Amino acid sequence: MIDKTLLAIENVSISLPPGADRPFAIEDVSLTVNRNEIVCLVGESGSGKSMTAHAILRLLPDRTGVAQGSISFNGNDIAKADEPTMRKLRGGAISMIFQEPLSALNPLARVGQQIAESIITHTKPTPSKEAVDARVQELIRDVGLPDPVALARSFPFQLSGGQRQRIMIAMAMANNPALLLADEPTTALDVTTQKQILALVKKLQSERGMGVLLITHDFGVVADVADRVVVMRNGRVVEQGTVDEVLRNPKDDYTKSLIAAVPGARSLTKADRKITGEPLLDAVGLNKTFITKQGMFLPPRRTDAVQNISLGLKARETVAIVGESGSGKSTLGRLIMRLIEPDTGSVHFDGKDLLSQRGERLRQMRRKIQIVFQDPFAALDPRQKVGDAIAGGPIAYGTPSKEAMADAKRLLARVGLQESAANRYPHEFSGGQRQRICIARALALKPSVLVADEAVSALDVSVQAQVLQLLAELREEMNLAMIFITHDLRVAAEIADRIVVMRRGEIVEQGETQKIFQNPTDAYTRALLDAIPGRAMFAGPGARQAEVASA
Amino acid sequence: MSTLKSFLRHPTGMIGLIVLLAVVLLAVTAPWLFPDDPWDMVGAPFQPPFSEGLWLGSDMLGRDVAAGIAHGARISLIIGVISTLTSLVIGVTIGATAGYFGGKVDEVMMRITELFQTIPGFILAILLVATIGPKISNIIFAIGIVSWPPLARLTRAEFMRLRGREFVQAAVCQGQRPLTVVLRRILPNAISPIIVTGSLAVASAILIESALSFMGLGDPNLMSWGFMIGAARTVIRQAWWMSVFPGLAILLTVLAINLVGEGLNDTLNPRISRKR
Repeated sequence: MIDKTLLAIENVSISLPPGADRPFAIEDVSLTVNRNEIVCLVGESGSGKSMTAHAILRLLPDRTGVAQGSISFNGNDIAKADEPTMRKLRGGAISMIFQEPLSALNPLARVGQQIAESIITHTKPTPSKEAVDARVQELIRDVGLPDPVALARSFPFQLSGGQRQRIMIAMAMANNPALLLADEPTTALDVTTQKQILALVKKLQSERGMGVLLITHDFGVVADVADRVVVMRNGRVVEQGTVDEVLRNPKDDYTKSLIAAVPGARSLTKADRKITGEPLLDAVGLNKTFITKQGMFLPPRRTDAVQNISLGLKARETVAIVGESGSGKSTLGRLIMRLIEPDTGSVHFDGKDLLSQRGERLRQMRRKIQIVFQDPFAALDPRQKVGDAIAGGPIAYGTPSKEAMADAKRLLARVGLQESAANRYPHEFSGGQRQRICIARALALKPSVLVADEAVSALDVSVQAQVLQLLAELREEMNLAMIFITHDLRVAAEIADRIVVMRRGEIVEQGETQKIFQNPTDAYTRALLDAIPGRAMFAGPGARQAEVASA
Repeated sequence: MSTLKSFLRHPTGMIGLIVLLAVVLLAVTAPWLFPDDPWDMVGAPFQPPFSEGLWLGSDMLGRDVAAGIAHGARISLIIGVISTLTSLVIGVTIGATAGYFGGKVDEVMMRITELFQTIPGFILAILLVATIGPKISNIIFAIGIVSWPPLARLTRAEFMRLRGREFVQAAVCQGQRPLTVVLRRILPNAISPIIVTGSLAVASAILIESALSFMGLGDPNLMSWGFMIGAARTVIRQAWWMSVFPGLAILLTVLAINLVGEGLNDTLNPRISRKR
């Protein structure tokens, strides 16, 4: 009988180059992965979870290295193995899949070739072309893709995100690895695709008896697939155990806070917020079609991003627009902001036609509708001080700069930053802090409508929870109406009064949050609800109500 | 500050900067080093280097070659810098307008730019100077006219990249006026590659000026390196020093400016400078 431990990492530390914010990326980390089991490595960004996985294959960045400890795979210490040995392991007995399948695939080679390459590299003597082709098609079929012959001939850009990730998995499976390292394999994917990919990983794992080390920041994913969990923080393991132990009975405070931060578990919105009256913002029959030229001899490609959408938003109301990528939800937000002009349709704000405004009149109306973008790193000018960024809006509308700056400092304090932040540049702040700055910038103009375009999607769960809390508080203080665009139904459940579900540019269902969760009428809404990771463990508000009702 | 520091650590950039500063120093001190008019006869003609009082020799009319080089440095640098500024003003304005507004405006602007790009630059410069007369202001104008298209193209590309960025959209949503958005938000973020290309344009402007003077189209009242080579080319086999020293001056100056430009590129481009 062979040893059941497949991978054992013992007391491993990875040193960082001098001048980094801490001396070690990971410190004294020990964990094991057995055959036929999925171990989830959980932690926030910067916790060292990716470093740990990369250290196993020795794919560390320059000037970092394993300072101490041992990594044993199948009983052999690979921390000190030579480069040829490591090369044989990579993609052979240990393979890896990455977060972003588009950048992990070679854009200029057909996917079949790329899978074949990983077979040929590791098989001596080189198998015949027919044998390789047959194996490639078998692998493509194994990862659940239709029509393997045609698919093998496509280029990465012709495939969807989910299909690309399946191709990455097929490449990883090419040499029947004993250990699969999956670095946030579903973070870049939509929820429904995420569910399929996780099911695929689980199926392949149990068929082949593989060990899987899956890195994720989402406890929902952990609840769905893991056998055991390792929680990391600041480069150290804070807790590990079986999934039931850790999730139902967390011992460490940090684990507790992470589990509590999983969205959907709380509700920030009171059941009855007494929202009545005429809509403040009223969009009717909006249409937007993007036409992209495809070269001289091809017909231009038409994408109906938004089709005949009508949306009303009352004062103080929060409407969440939920949909997968490509559903047109961001386009809708930008149409309302007039960052894009619609083809047809009308938007009325406070009784005035927003779309017919030009020049100065448009500028005057703009201040009433503000936006917070998804990526806090792209949304702030790297060369502008935070205070100037926030005060810039009011100054543009004629507020004296001294007064505007004082207001900016007050707002910074309100969103939970120091007033001295006003004199610093954006790069000195973390993602969550930057998003707070973006919120302060939007609110500096005292708008009545705030469009939050995936405003919390790029943040770690615990930061996400804090920012959501902040938004919930601010909308009460400032009587804000909010359009909350998100792909995550769990987040929508926490903050929205009403949910609008979009698919391929159309609204498929809308209704009050509770209603959507309890009685979804549309099949697509149901699919979205089913795909919520960890639905069994972290029941949404609807599920909890249902339990209470049935009890 | 950190940009300056990392530039000071850039070896070839520093060599370039030192040579360039030496040329600038020579240009500034020329009236004191060589108080006489460089056109004056100061000795016997055809004196080789290291003759008495003439350490770079004299030309066929007995003028001091060293004095010519020192005074020529002033002309070369002035023309290089001012004509580059001219082309920057034209190029950045056209590129920024095209890149920011896009659509029809972009189409028109880019057709105009292409028109200038299809005409060989040097021939156009010759034509312009020959038509409007060889005066220093006309030479600067001609060089500016032929060297703006690459700057316009570059600025346009940068503006198109930045126009869709979220921080620019945020500024629009904040109610900032288009001119403020362009000058305060987009331009500062696009300026690094423009500075680099601009610094290299100084070198090519100096070369164009030398070539124009070589062909006898320089300002007849001003001593320039190109004129010195042009005048001495007929006697190059008898008196090599008359053309070699001004040639070396052009070579060193252009090389130095290129090195500085490279150094700026490496330090201002975050992808390269972060690797250091």
